[in-house]
Amino acid sequence: MKTGFFHQEAGARPAPYMNPYIAGFGIGLVLLAAFVIAGRGLGASGAFASAVSAGVNLVAPAHAADNPFYQKYLSRATNPFKDWLFIEVIGVMIGGFVSGMLARRVARTIERGPNITDRGRLALAFAGGVLVSFGAQFARGCTSGQSITGGALLNLGSWAFTMSVFAGAYGVAYFLRREWK
Amino acid sequence: MTAPLITSGALSPSYDLLFALLIGIGFGFFLERAGFGSARKLVAQFYLTDLSVFKVMFTALVTAMVGVIVLNRAGFLDIGELPLIGTYIVPMMVGGLILGAGFVIGGY
Repeated sequence: MKTGFFHQEAGARPAPYMNPYIAGFGIGLVLLAAFVIAGRGLGASGAFASAVSAGVNLVAPAHAADNPFYQKYLSRATNPFKDWLFIEVIGVMIGGFVSGMLARRVARTIERGPNITDRGRLALAFAGGVLVSFGAQFARGCTSGQSITGGALLNLGSWAFTMSVFAGAYGVAYFLRREWK
Repeated sequence: MTAPLITSGALSPSYDLLFALLIGIGFGFFLERAGFGSARKLVAQFYLTDLSVFKVMFTALVTAMVGVIVLNRAGFLDIGELPLIGTYIVPMMVGGLILGAGFVIGGY
């Protein structure tokens, strides 16, 4: 009875994370495959810009037609399901979910430190999301498209962006310690 | 040069979106393996309690960089067809600072 209980507990425990250098090597090979096969890099923020542009075009086509930002994304594909980055991000969600399932890490939870409420954490998550998407549009990319992809190709702006990301994050971390610690 | 395979015509453009999906699956898989499905693990980088973000990011970057250089020198991969982004130093740095702040506020 007791051994059975323990056996079940051991089976339900999440697997440890992969060594970061091995995971990084894996991502590097995936990025290299993207370069070799498609001549593209990895991305995330571009998929959201593409989906938003398609949505605006659907409900307010006249407004979308007047706006160069939306036009830039609509000129690639008016249907986001035909947009390379949009499809790639759907793949990211599938790959992440499969990895989480295999490691028994999939759970319904709100991750936060012990000194903040769920509501507070969600409000900050929303505010942070607004800042991240704004910053990514301002800089023409996020940590996927600029830092990893542009960084691997030694794009000067991508390196300036990456260092600024770390500077901005270290700069505000002290003030947000109650959210996480 | 034969690569990028889709741009050179070595691979039919009809496979483009299929590879977008497969490449995304690989990217998401390794991101989650590294623990980047966890906001607390990501943010720990900025409290210096877990430097995984830095280790994963720069290992990926160097791996791809070496691969690009080797394949280019071997006469296989045309660097001119890769996503070289122009330098817009002020918006890129301002955007980076905003995104970095949002990273810790929102937990990415």
